[in-house]
Amino acid sequence: MDPHDSTFGVQLFIYDLSRGMARQLSPIMLGKQLDGIWHTSIVVYGEEFFYGGAGISSCPPGGTMLGPPDTVVELGNTEVTEEILMDYLSSLGETTYRGDKYRLFEHNCNTFTNEVAQFLTGNKIPSYITDLPSEVLSTPFGQVLRPILDSIHIAPPGGNVISSQNNHG
Amino acid sequence: MAENSGTDPAVETNTEENAAASATIIKVTVKTPKDKEEIAIAEDSSVSQFKEEISKRFKANQDQLVLIFAGKILKDGDTLGQHGIKDGLTVHLVIKTAQKTSGGGSSQTSASSGPGPSQGNTDGSANSSPAGNLGTPQGSGPSPTPTQPPNMLAGFGDLSGLANLGMGSANFMELQQQMQRQLMSNPEMLSQIMENPLVQSMMSNPDLMRQMIVANPQMQQLMERNPEISHMLNNPELMRQTMELARNPAMMQEMMRNQDRALSNLESIPGGYNALRRMYTDIQEPMFSAAREQFGNNPFSALGGNADNSGAQPSRTENREPLPNPWGPPDTAATTTSGTATTTSSTTSSTTPSVSNPLGISSSSLGNGMFNSPGMQSLMQQISENPQLMQNMLSAPYMRTMMQSLAQNPDIASQVLMNNPLFAGNPQLQEQMRQQLPVFMQQMQNPESLSVMTNPRAMRALMQIQEGLQTLQTEAPGLMPSLIPGGMAAGIPGAPLPTGVNVTPENPPPSGQAPTPTPAPTPTPAAGTNTAQQQLMQQMLQMFAGGNASTPTPEVRFQQQLEQLSAMGFINREANLQALIATGGDINAAIERLLGSQPS
Repeated sequence: MDPHDSTFGVQLFIYDLSRGMARQLSPIMLGKQLDGIWHTSIVVYGEEFFYGGAGISSCPPGGTMLGPPDTVVELGNTEVTEEILMDYLSSLGETTYRGDKYRLFEHNCNTFTNEVAQFLTGNKIPSYITDLPSEVLSTPFGQVLRPILDSIHIAPPGGNVISSQNNHG
Repeated sequence: MAENSGTDPAVETNTEENAAASATIIKVTVKTPKDKEEIAIAEDSSVSQFKEEISKRFKANQDQLVLIFAGKILKDGDTLGQHGIKDGLTVHLVIKTAQKTSGGGSSQTSASSGPGPSQGNTDGSANSSPAGNLGTPQGSGPSPTPTQPPNMLAGFGDLSGLANLGMGSANFMELQQQMQRQLMSNPEMLSQIMENPLVQSMMSNPDLMRQMIVANPQMQQLMERNPEISHMLNNPELMRQTMELARNPAMMQEMMRNQDRALSNLESIPGGYNALRRMYTDIQEPMFSAAREQFGNNPFSALGGNADNSGAQPSRTENREPLPNPWGPPDTAATTTSGTATTTSSTTSSTTPSVSNPLGISSSSLGNGMFNSPGMQSLMQQISENPQLMQNMLSAPYMRTMMQSLAQNPDIASQVLMNNPLFAGNPQLQEQMRQQLPVFMQQMQNPESLSVMTNPRAMRALMQIQEGLQTLQTEAPGLMPSLIPGGMAAGIPGAPLPTGVNVTPENPPPSGQAPTPTPAPTPTPAAGTNTAQQQLMQQMLQMFAGGNASTPTPEVRFQQQLEQLSAMGFINREANLQALIATGGDINAAIERLLGSQPS
């Protein structure tokens, strides 16, 4: 075992996909205040990892078309090395987090981020993010829109898809 | 490893004994990416003991196991208690597969094999996606990059629902970007757009496509630099294939995925990443910017997206959005399809020209009832609300080019228009359109008409006319036949301006209400093809003329509203007037406007 006692900082990048529109329009449209449509990604080892319609992808931090994040949350530190994480992500990417498994409400980028956050640090991501789908679905409008929204795959371009062959450990 | 609790070696197999001995058994969930298992283990066991259990359960070598809890890697020498692992908690497990080197090796082989098959695909796709793959031919040079993808046309027309139009983006280019982004995140929209018969008809016309692409100066530059591109463009087979691909989103996605994979494989090859990078900067970027400038090479951008190019940065540009400028000049508009209602596009095409050469076209669309589609309305509304938008749109560089090329090549314009399914069912309309095409073109070039389009009041007036006409249509269909204003003939080719000032000197109906038969002769049925559409058109003329005649100045018009506003406490007369003008006399809206402009 190598004495790997160095730790790596883990951050959560939060993006508002609606660019502020949700904050303004949600009271009207949904009847409740939603401050944003959150998309999250994990940043560690100087790389950003996220899940979308294309599967698990990585890119330089803030390197997707969404631009810089709206909020950054420190999740803590991890001893997990990049190599281990890549192994982990590769397995995830082949099973539960394949591109076609993406579900906007139940199994989305935030689900992924939550899981990776727990893997890396033991902490979950802030609950207002993971609660978003149920918040939306609990409104009549959300219910109506559900069939349409279900087919939406958020896949911010700008990342490389991680696959087992791509393991740059 | 000697157990410290003094238990026999049998402890590994029989934790119960252990339990009996001292520690309590806790159930710890061990979670791998693929599955999870509950493992019962003594509370005070060491990590290595834990790993033994795990290796048995997961059938992996103990050396391969990496246990993680709360961000810490569990080392063999630690105990579970040390890390705070208690009953019911979850520990993460990663089973290391191959080592780095072998991993690298395998990825290398897979990379080479990857590009292999995808090469086949790519070549096919490369061929079929001229625009998209413009980079490809060069790309294929440097070995394993069959898929070189500069996703050029990626940036093409953004579409996004009209709803977004005018929202928050002063700059048209930015608007495009926004639209593009939206589209990219919403595959539904793409398929809707694709299904639009307009788009399809446009795409099935390779000549048109080629022309549009070639017309773009940046594309021309690119073509000079990369002769393969022009080669591709000139090959009708390729174009056709490309368009086929563009039409079939499923296929596109397939291809894109392949590309993606191949590209990622590329990355792992030593030096591969650099090659990719190079390719990107050399080829993709210029194309990308060319694409951004270009209006609507829809099929191609779609192709571009589809044609490989993903991987590295290209994925960012991997855009499948064609979508040209929703408000392009009649022609483009016709081809454009703004992603909204199908009707919108054709109506758009009808509307814009309507500014200069209105009646001919708008009446026909009126006849079709398209004019009043909700999409159109919102479009008009946005235009009138955001004059900047219109301005930007018109000044977008490619607009000029487009209009020019259209003017020069009436054939294409007519082709597109003819193919427009809206008109397809109505040969009369087609005739009409055809006749008016050359005039149309001129109108568009006419700077005055351009300025009119950027004039919100004018647009608003247009809208009102629309509404009025619609009402008329529904309320008094019998009225139409009697509307045979003489100005018609003069109106059509006369390029009457919307303000109707020049329009029909012969038609001075005072309040623009019921157009009264004017003294001027009635060439109406003269045309022979003159049907209800022409009459409607005349009606429009009347309205234009009438509407104008009855509007002295905004101040006078809004006298009453101004008074009301000042009574309410809005002191700033200037601002009130502006607001009233912008909202067309609607007090409530004006108030909102006034309030909105104050910092809150």
